[in-house]
Amino acid sequence: MKASPYAFISPFFIFFGAFSLVPLLYTAWYSLHNVQLSDLDNQTWAGLDNYQNLLSSDFFWNSLWVTLVIGVISTVPQLIMAIGLAHLLNYKLRGSTVWRVVMLTPYATSVAAATLVFVLLYSWDGGMINWLLDFVGVDPINWRESDWGSKFAVSTIVIWRWTGYNALIYLAAMQAIPADLYESASLDGANRWQQFRHVTVPQLRPTILFTVVVSTIGATQLFGEPLLFGGVSGSKGGSGHDYQTLGLYMYDQGWVIGNLGKASAIAWSMFLILLLIAVINLLVSRRLRKSQ
Amino acid sequence: MRARTRTGRRKVVVLAAVASLGAGLLAGCAEDSGGGSSNSDGGDGGSGKTTLSIGTFGVFGYKQAGLYDEYMKLNPDVSIKENVTTRTDVYWPKTLTRLQAGAGTDDIQAIEIMNVTEAVETQADKFVDLGKEVDKSQWLDWKNAQATTKDGKQIGLGTDVGPMAICYRKDLFEKAGLETDRTKLAEQWKGDWGKYVDLGKQYMEKAPRGTKFVDSASSVYNAALGGEPERYYETDGTVIWDKSDSVKKAWDVAMEVATSDMSAKLKQFDKPWDQGYSNGTFATVACPAWMIGYIQEKSGASGKGKWDVAAAPTAANWGGAFLGVPTASKNQKEAVKLAKWLTAPEQQAKVFAKQASFPSTPSAYADLKPAAATSAYFSNAPITEIFSKSAETIPSQYFGIKDQPINTALTDIGILQVEQKGKSPEEGWDAATKEIKDVLGQ
Amino acid sequence: MTTSEVPLTQEKEQEKGAKAKGDRGFRRPRMLGAGKQLHAGPVTYVVLTVFALVSLAPLVWTAIAASRTDQRLAQTPPPLWFGGNLFNNLERAWEEASLGTAMFNTTLVATTITVGTVLFSTLAGFAFAKLRFKFSSALLLLTIGTMMIPPQLAIVPLYLWMADLGWSNQLQTVILPTLCTAFGTFFMRQYLVQALPTELIEAARVDGASSLRIVWHVVFPAARPAMAVLGLLTFVFAWNDFLWPIIALNQDNPTVQVALNALGTGYVPDQSVIMAGALLGTLPLLIAFLLFGKQIVGGIMQGAIKG
Repeated sequence: MKASPYAFISPFFIFFGAFSLVPLLYTAWYSLHNVQLSDLDNQTWAGLDNYQNLLSSDFFWNSLWVTLVIGVISTVPQLIMAIGLAHLLNYKLRGSTVWRVVMLTPYATSVAAATLVFVLLYSWDGGMINWLLDFVGVDPINWRESDWGSKFAVSTIVIWRWTGYNALIYLAAMQAIPADLYESASLDGANRWQQFRHVTVPQLRPTILFTVVVSTIGATQLFGEPLLFGGVSGSKGGSGHDYQTLGLYMYDQGWVIGNLGKASAIAWSMFLILLLIAVINLLVSRRLRKSQ
Repeated sequence: MRARTRTGRRKVVVLAAVASLGAGLLAGCAEDSGGGSSNSDGGDGGSGKTTLSIGTFGVFGYKQAGLYDEYMKLNPDVSIKENVTTRTDVYWPKTLTRLQAGAGTDDIQAIEIMNVTEAVETQADKFVDLGKEVDKSQWLDWKNAQATTKDGKQIGLGTDVGPMAICYRKDLFEKAGLETDRTKLAEQWKGDWGKYVDLGKQYMEKAPRGTKFVDSASSVYNAALGGEPERYYETDGTVIWDKSDSVKKAWDVAMEVATSDMSAKLKQFDKPWDQGYSNGTFATVACPAWMIGYIQEKSGASGKGKWDVAAAPTAANWGGAFLGVPTASKNQKEAVKLAKWLTAPEQQAKVFAKQASFPSTPSAYADLKPAAATSAYFSNAPITEIFSKSAETIPSQYFGIKDQPINTALTDIGILQVEQKGKSPEEGWDAATKEIKDVLGQ
Repeated sequence: MTTSEVPLTQEKEQEKGAKAKGDRGFRRPRMLGAGKQLHAGPVTYVVLTVFALVSLAPLVWTAIAASRTDQRLAQTPPPLWFGGNLFNNLERAWEEASLGTAMFNTTLVATTITVGTVLFSTLAGFAFAKLRFKFSSALLLLTIGTMMIPPQLAIVPLYLWMADLGWSNQLQTVILPTLCTAFGTFFMRQYLVQALPTELIEAARVDGASSLRIVWHVVFPAARPAMAVLGLLTFVFAWNDFLWPIIALNQDNPTVQVALNALGTGYVPDQSVIMAGALLGTLPLLIAFLLFGKQIVGGIMQGAIKG
């Protein structure tokens, strides 16, 4: 039994190490150099210059802010809706397979096709949403070029795309909740809502933690949806960088402009930021536990 | 320098292999998936037939014009495969990576005009010198110059160019009480984009309901800048975008458009822009030759006979590409032959007939024929004459290595902020300045 | 349904085992989906229908767009009902993108990745969740940590690495990097922490079961719902993965997403054909889900079958 834990994790670490970790570490190397995508062999040592430049760059701080805002307004409703949806899918349903597959269609639909639909919906001139707003007497909004409007629009795409995905994850975990817990709860006279609150949610805690972590990471790296929402030169996130997330800023720098060194520094800053959040989280929860 | 860091990279890769500890497993896995990839080598091996692959970013239309089939008929021992990556912002990084890896490049790689300087200055050693293989005088001088290194090596052969004209809606002009004759219009704005904007002001006074004079301020900016002698760089590579009179002139014209109400405030190649054509919401657009087909398609039947084409205020170029042969190609000789054939005047003329990509070889101009339907659509305007005149008088511009991101910063940050966010021209300029500093890492 | 019988018998066996304590069967609490005995009320159906409509709308519109002409798509308002051009566009998309090879390749790639990810992630997730070993928390943190670095830039060194191995344009270049994911391992770990009672493993160990036996008879059955979901999500991800395959592969040996990229070329890209391609790229996935849905969902639902 002693060696077996390592045997169990080794396939993962071998493949993961070779084809994910090593290339990632290579980008850490890039982040310490001045290196252009067009001239990879010509690297000059830059030390922490790339990182220092970021700290003094308004674009970096802006994209951090954008990421935070879009992250909050997309992740929170998405996870709450997902857990509710999973709860509903967990009832005895007619055609349960069909419902589940349908909930996964946003994730399976081609992002490009989906974004085109949203671009049409949010179109400034003649889009359906502005048309509806007009009905209630609101002036048309230039969604792509408005500060909060664009963040809202991008968030709706994210929510649309990932809610069903998270619901399935919750659903799987709900299946593992022992039935006795519900039986004893209902014997105690708990109604459905109380059962949900006092049995389901506590039992789902590890999975909720998982989805929160993964969604936070996903929100930090968000770039596909805003990129396509922006259309031509979408990597800028609008003329005022209103929806240029960190992921998009990195894509713009590395892939469009070709500053690979700087883009790598952005990537690793994202790592450091998340690490910082994790450490703070750990300290706070430890403090809380002590005080209890 | 180059060689040293290259071995450096190999070393890290070897380290990576050791770190992964999985040589055996990897080999096993490679075998597993071998079934699916055994057909991937492309070459028809021993049969004596050469397979040539051509990597493009999607706008060339060689397949549609039947050129591959024709070539394969002429050369029965050659078969051609096209590898398309539609988006240039994916195609070019992909190509750069593959060129530098020294593996996976196609036998012919297309290079877009916005990337050609980067290719000339950083990838020249990875391309075959095609200048020696052809009679250079067939091409426009400025076209050749863009793909030629300082020591005279030419890494690509010109495909199409994008000479500009003004496409305009005759019917809307008439309703607005403006001149509708193409020659007279061209006279009215000749030599000065400012005069074109003045006409726009006139148009707006009596504009038909729901229409604007021009699609966007950025399109005017690009067209105006394209007719100037310089852009963002000196030929020695110094960045001069903020000191250049050319840029200032084009910017001022664009600002006049952006701060007036004559622009439909659309972003080119966006969905709403397509709808703008279909609904006829703007009366003019600065159109390079290759946009002709786009207008015809998107405006649809309702636009037939309503569009016309007039010479632009200044001769300018927008777009175009080159074909290069990477030295990594295993079929260099055959690839060079095919690249030469595809870019020869006769073939360029055929692509023009198919999709109005304008040839970069003047000898083809004499007997260029647009598709009959196209002529009819554009009120039988003498399209070839207008565009070839423009092509032959385009100033030779030098594109710098970061030309494209600088241009994006000016149009999609600076101009767009003024046009769509209601910022002042000064604020727009400052925003673009900040953006460009970020691009250049200053 | 033979598929639903398997867990049924297992379940019964386990219950019997639980009664006869110390027997060779591994004791396992009877699992039942939350509120599973509850039938859905009409409100549930209404809410689900709303979710379903919103979820399906873009796909349906993709089909509408694919049934129209490019010119019609440029008009306002955009078409809201099907036109007569669907089969014509589908045919053009199929031919232009040579989707036959692509479908075969993608099925191969996605299946391999799914099997690898589910298997390796379950093993590693189990080890992280239930076994005590040196550096376990450090290694788990490392795993989660790497998820935090965006992978888009790593494409460049990864391609150089693959080229050095002589693999450019071959399918293993897209299989190997996603054969195991940090996501999968973390997911299985979180699931098993909750769903797999530690006493169960200890009981098995007391009975002298080998590690492999424990994995086969205790871990896999407990992990089935999560394995099914992970497999589903991984398959969709692998099917739709775009950025890396497009860098790593060419059109002579493409995946579906790479092949679709050949659509809409020329200076006037035909949107309706592009949409037809997008539809062709997504439909097999959905059809497969509906066909194998019973099995997949059967995996998700295994706890729900009552003895």
